[in-house]
Amino acid sequence: MNCSDISELAPLYVAGELDAARAAGFDAHLKTCSSCFRELEAQAKLEARLREIVLAQEVDAARVNRRIREMLAKESLVEAVKRLERPRRRWIAATAGIAAAFFLLVAGYLLLPGRVSPVYADAAEDHQSEVIDRAPRRWQTDPAEIAARARKVGVDITVPAALGSGFRLERAKICQLDGRLYLHAVYTDGTHEFSLFLRARDQEGLNAAVRGFSNGRLLRACASGKEHVASFSTARLSAIVATGEPAAASLAYAKLASAAIQD
Amino acid sequence: MTSRQAEFERDALPHSRSLLRVARRLVSDPAMAEDLVQETYLRAWRSFDQFQTGTNIRAWLFRILFNAFYAQGRQSSAAPMIVSLDAPGFDPGANRQAGLPYADAAEVLAALDALSDEHRTVILLAVVEGFTCRELADILSLPIGTVMSRLSRGRQAMRDRLAAPSPKVFQARASAGRAQRELG
Repeated sequence: MNCSDISELAPLYVAGELDAARAAGFDAHLKTCSSCFRELEAQAKLEARLREIVLAQEVDAARVNRRIREMLAKESLVEAVKRLERPRRRWIAATAGIAAAFFLLVAGYLLLPGRVSPVYADAAEDHQSEVIDRAPRRWQTDPAEIAARARKVGVDITVPAALGSGFRLERAKICQLDGRLYLHAVYTDGTHEFSLFLRARDQEGLNAAVRGFSNGRLLRACASGKEHVASFSTARLSAIVATGEPAAASLAYAKLASAAIQD
Repeated sequence: MTSRQAEFERDALPHSRSLLRVARRLVSDPAMAEDLVQETYLRAWRSFDQFQTGTNIRAWLFRILFNAFYAQGRQSSAAPMIVSLDAPGFDPGANRQAGLPYADAAEVLAALDALSDEHRTVILLAVVEGFTCRELADILSLPIGTVMSRLSRGRQAMRDRLAAPSPKVFQARASAGRAQRELG
């Protein structure tokens, strides 16, 4: 993949829509081409700021919601009157309805936008059941035990005992996300909790929309169910953060984790 | 209220804020932006029977919004927006002290508003609303290649504009100041 390919494919890469093979080629090019990396970094910074500015602007939807509800009430009334006057040709409507439903089912299946990548869906589900819902699991709290489990899954760094903003490592265990083994570490500041999943980095990247930039690394993020998930890659590790808090929190936690992992 | 109407309100209404946010940057007049969103919901309700529950209702609503926008002939669109510097909760100088890049919110918004309708639309939907290129192609009824090239050009145009001091920003601020004095 050359610089021209990178420029052409950047929108798909940034949106997390490149297939795994091309995303890996893209990642490999960024590793060796500082010019393309700087270009993407500058773009990510501008976009993060633009998103922050537009979302911070006050948009009061209360009045328009009231207008919409009033309009719906009127429309329903008109519909009710029409139904009373309509001739009873229900079988025609039923046949057309079935045909339309079938068509929509097929079209919907073909056109459905990309689903959340399975690894993120699994991370979100694990966080929900094991951290938020507290499903019983064999967690390790002893740092030496946690270090031993980290090594088992190829995480050859010292798992940070503390991150910024008062977050500390509380417990960890080994888990499986989309068929791969990860260290599932839980960090807390006493009020908030989030999950950090770590594995050794390999050819398969973590594909999702680029949503920020921290510590020289791209931050990707997406929503899965009620959870928000963010990810980043270091030289040797792939890391995923999952939280039940809003998207901004997942990015903030990913930044804390990224800042604490130097390799 | 019918169960269908309740379902529509439950599933569609939570997206009105997103739609209004985008509409406000498509048309210059806030009242017209509200009209556009209301028209979107009227059209959506009338074709709600064709909507398949469980598919992407947010993308569907945005597609209707853009159909309505283009059907209205983009009245009053693309007028250079005056950035409201004293809207509640809006601090244009936020993060400036932290030395972050693109710290001046007014400059960034001016660069966004200076884009053509086509470029501003794809940037807003991709960057702010988080739609993928495939979803954008569906919403805007465009080939995905066109979406990608508009995104690249829009991004480049914003960065080019922000790379140099922009007289239009000062113009926008001066206009905002004049408007405030006239109102006050």
